[in-house]
Amino acid sequence: MSAQVTLAIRYLKGRRLRTALTTLAIVFGVMLLFGLNGIIPAMVQSLQSSMIAASGQTDLVVTSASTGLFDAAVADRVGTVEGVEAATPVLRVPVALAPGRYPVGMLSIIGVDPATAGRVRPYPVAEGRFLSEEDAKQDLEGGEATKRPAVVLPASTASALGLEVGDTLEVPSARGVARLTVAGVLKMPTAPGNEEAYMALPVAQALLGSGDRVSEVDATVKAGVDRAEVTRAVQRALGSAYRIGGVEPDSSLFASIKLGGFIINMFGVFAIVMAGFIILNTFRTVVAERRHDIGMLRAIGASRHTIFGMFLTESLVQGVLGTALGIIAGWWVAKLAMAGVGVISSDLLHLSIGRPVFTPGTWVLAIGMGVGVTVLAALVPARAAASITPLEAMRPQAGDRYEKAATHRAWWGVAVIVLAVAGLLSRDTTLVGASSVVFLVGLALVTPALVRPVTDAFGRAIEAVFRREGGLAKANLTRNAGRAAVTASAMMVSVAVIIALLGTFTSVFDGFIGYIDKSMGADFLAVPSNLLLSTGTVGADAALVTAVKSTEGVGDVATLRVGRAAMGGTGLQVIGIDPVAYSKVASFEYSEGSSEAALARLGTDGAIMVNGIFAAQQGLRPGDTLRLETPAGPRNYTVVAVATDYLNAKLATAYVSQAELEREFGVTTDVAIMADARPGADRQAVRAALARTVRDYPQFALYDTREWRDLQVATFRQVYGAMYVMLFVLAVPSLLALLNTLAIGVLARTREIGMLRAIGSTRVQVRRMVIAESLLLASLGTALGMLSGVWLGYSMVDAMNAVGFKMPYYFPYDGLAIALVIGVVFGVLAALVPARQATKLDVVAALRYE
Amino acid sequence: MPIVETKGLTRVYGEGSNAVTALDAVDLAVEPGEFVAVMGPSGCGKSTLLNLIGGLDAPTSGSVVIDGRDIAHMSEAEVTALRRRRIGFVFQFFNLIPVLDAAENVALPLVLDGVKAAEAKATAIEWLARVGLQDLAGRKPDELSGGQQQRVAIARALVTDPALILADEPTGNLDSRSSDDIARLLKEVSVTWGRAILMVTHDPRIAAHADRIVFMRDGRVVDDTRIAGAQEARDAMEKVGLL
Repeated sequence: MSAQVTLAIRYLKGRRLRTALTTLAIVFGVMLLFGLNGIIPAMVQSLQSSMIAASGQTDLVVTSASTGLFDAAVADRVGTVEGVEAATPVLRVPVALAPGRYPVGMLSIIGVDPATAGRVRPYPVAEGRFLSEEDAKQDLEGGEATKRPAVVLPASTASALGLEVGDTLEVPSARGVARLTVAGVLKMPTAPGNEEAYMALPVAQALLGSGDRVSEVDATVKAGVDRAEVTRAVQRALGSAYRIGGVEPDSSLFASIKLGGFIINMFGVFAIVMAGFIILNTFRTVVAERRHDIGMLRAIGASRHTIFGMFLTESLVQGVLGTALGIIAGWWVAKLAMAGVGVISSDLLHLSIGRPVFTPGTWVLAIGMGVGVTVLAALVPARAAASITPLEAMRPQAGDRYEKAATHRAWWGVAVIVLAVAGLLSRDTTLVGASSVVFLVGLALVTPALVRPVTDAFGRAIEAVFRREGGLAKANLTRNAGRAAVTASAMMVSVAVIIALLGTFTSVFDGFIGYIDKSMGADFLAVPSNLLLSTGTVGADAALVTAVKSTEGVGDVATLRVGRAAMGGTGLQVIGIDPVAYSKVASFEYSEGSSEAALARLGTDGAIMVNGIFAAQQGLRPGDTLRLETPAGPRNYTVVAVATDYLNAKLATAYVSQAELEREFGVTTDVAIMADARPGADRQAVRAALARTVRDYPQFALYDTREWRDLQVATFRQVYGAMYVMLFVLAVPSLLALLNTLAIGVLARTREIGMLRAIGSTRVQVRRMVIAESLLLASLGTALGMLSGVWLGYSMVDAMNAVGFKMPYYFPYDGLAIALVIGVVFGVLAALVPARQATKLDVVAALRYE
Repeated sequence: MPIVETKGLTRVYGEGSNAVTALDAVDLAVEPGEFVAVMGPSGCGKSTLLNLIGGLDAPTSGSVVIDGRDIAHMSEAEVTALRRRRIGFVFQFFNLIPVLDAAENVALPLVLDGVKAAEAKATAIEWLARVGLQDLAGRKPDELSGGQQQRVAIARALVTDPALILADEPTGNLDSRSSDDIARLLKEVSVTWGRAILMVTHDPRIAAHADRIVFMRDGRVVDDTRIAGAQEARDAMEKVGLL
């Protein structure tokens, strides 16, 4: 083993507590990064497989560029293209089953043409039979089991639903509950949690109320023909309104999950960067502490390269160890979290998630960040150590050089803060996000210069409580201003992020409640049990809304319909409303420059409203023209307002009139119904009557709006609870930083503490000195964090308002209170181990300590 | 040929009105196997002389020639290699690596020079035996007395078979009994093992073990006397006013 490795390992083993604390910081960061990243790919994979389960088994898959449904006749056009062996239309729609009816929540309804489907892909039968052309003639209304339409299930689906050949499958349909007879079981693999039901295309179309439209055309290419050439020929034949290839899961839900993944990644990266702070601090101290050793090593012939290598090897060992332990811990975190996420995903999205999925990217990210950040953080101290000459190492260290460097850096910090403030005032979400990070970097640069004045200010308060020890604690901090500044910066970043996020989240939630009060103004709601209107929702045909309107005691009624479109390759949902009916029962939360008058314009040709998210994504303002890929081809629309309704506030959404939705998207089914009770009507009686009306449509759940609002608020509270846990997780690295710095401080002052004990300090006084020091350090970080957190939170909310996501600014009183509690509790907690370490020191041994 | 020779060796710290001459045109030669003590009041330039000879510091003017080569004309890497192979250091505060045991501390210069760990350790244990610590090879520095730690440091200085040992107050941190032991050991190093020793000390009893005493004051060599025994050492010290 080389001298570097031997020395590195011995030093690590020789300072076990410090090694454990710094390694723990890496373990924590990697655990978050690796563990949380195991969950998101599992969700994406489930969603992906639910959307593209079969696409890999055919040569070509044609879909609409709008990501919506299109005319089934397209299959005939594909079939006539030279080189195409066979083409068949397919309608594939995920549908939420009636809650509690089956053990699974979601089922893909797949309508196929029995005449041509078998020419494109095999359907091997395990039991019973496959679909025949006779099945295409069956009426969905068939009452007796023998006359009911046939459905064929893959073996895994049959098993998951608990059905056999001859049994009845109940699925929600546009005309109420549809009953189908299981005619056969297929020997086909399906992805776990991705259940499928095959039926004749006309049956599926009737069931989903999709007219003569399909979601894809599958085709095979003749043997010996160049597939790429045929793909190009099909594309030429169909034009740009269609896409050839696999079904691309680019829905808004997919984008939302990806966004969730990004946020989770940020949590992990944040924790690892904090670990980097801790490591940087530790190695800086280690270099200072080992100056004599470095000097001696250089004197006896160690080169600069050897010294540099020794510190890098130490960091590498810690990085590798911490990363390995972090990956193990992360695996457990993912496993435990999957249990919780699985329940939420199944309840709200009807998406079954399997086991955690750790992609190669996750491994590379976790190992790269874990080892990389550790080594990078040690680089500067290692270079500093290597540049020390033997003679310098033997001399005492000059303190004023640090003061000068701190002042110099502080001016740079001020310049960075000024730049960041300009960005924060820009009201551009991207710029505000980036400027927030820059702002914190600037503040971290200024912090060393603030250590002395802020410590003086807080020192008076500390001295009031710790009369004898406060002065010493203050002096201990200021004489190691660099170390204190790095720790305070770590604490500051944690506290600032917590307060900023709490302020932003609370504002977002308040905004959402505002949306509910405005857009959910009707007395009753019949909405999908599913969370999202455009995924897994089977609409109801006109019969339901007619029945609702004629229900006794019901006054005005408005409905929402949903279609799919794309803009610039990104999918969005298009909600169809009847402007007149809608304005009677509900409203929108309009952004600046929009008004109720805009709603009336929706009836006019080419008028569209967009919600906050979509406006922010595409940079849209009232008056702008946007080009949407609709199932009928590209269409230009004029934005008449940026407005948001509660149900669709979470996904990129545009609003058009229902007439327009029918014309361009072919959608005629309702996915949400809002109804008012007539003035003077008995609300309870109306509700009971409505319940009877919607009973046959299990895809809808009926609510009194007040009760529904309470449910939503309760859900928010649950999310809030989860968020508090995440925020606590964000604070943990700062606790580790504090603990680490204090432990280092105690170790470095071993002889001094021995002297204090020798001249008469009691163990209690030594303990109080360490606690006072910790509280001072925590106060410094917390105070700076509170100030910057409030400011960052305000900037974020302001930016969201500017892009059309209208919400009130909520001053984070609770965040500030939590930060104060964290500051004091962490201050005391962090001091416990080092204080114990200090009080247990043997006086004689401490006085002899080198 | 002397193992080390300085000519007009001068070291000035600071500039202009703040300039302090720590060493002023010192000429000195040490022959192989010679034990030379350097004495003088605090601030007379003793340690500066040692640092310059050891290549830890660079002279303002003059030269330091070791093994016939002027170290002023050597690169940093060459000076580092020279220290590793031809010069051994012994410090007042022992400067052992606290996380390594005695044998590993002694083996360190060899390991730094690329010698295999097992071979280096075997050589280290041989040297520990020569300084009388064969039974304590596995102990960490904090498990050894001051005298024992200094013996380990001497073994470490000798392990690469250097021609010159530079010792800066090697007994400054020891009790009188341990100091005598170390002085005897250094004498043995020069007599039995033929190494040249240049030792800075304040202690007349320790200096008495040397073959020659160089007296310094205000950065200059004021006397250079060859001695044989404690009485001659005392006479030389009286002559320069140190006693």
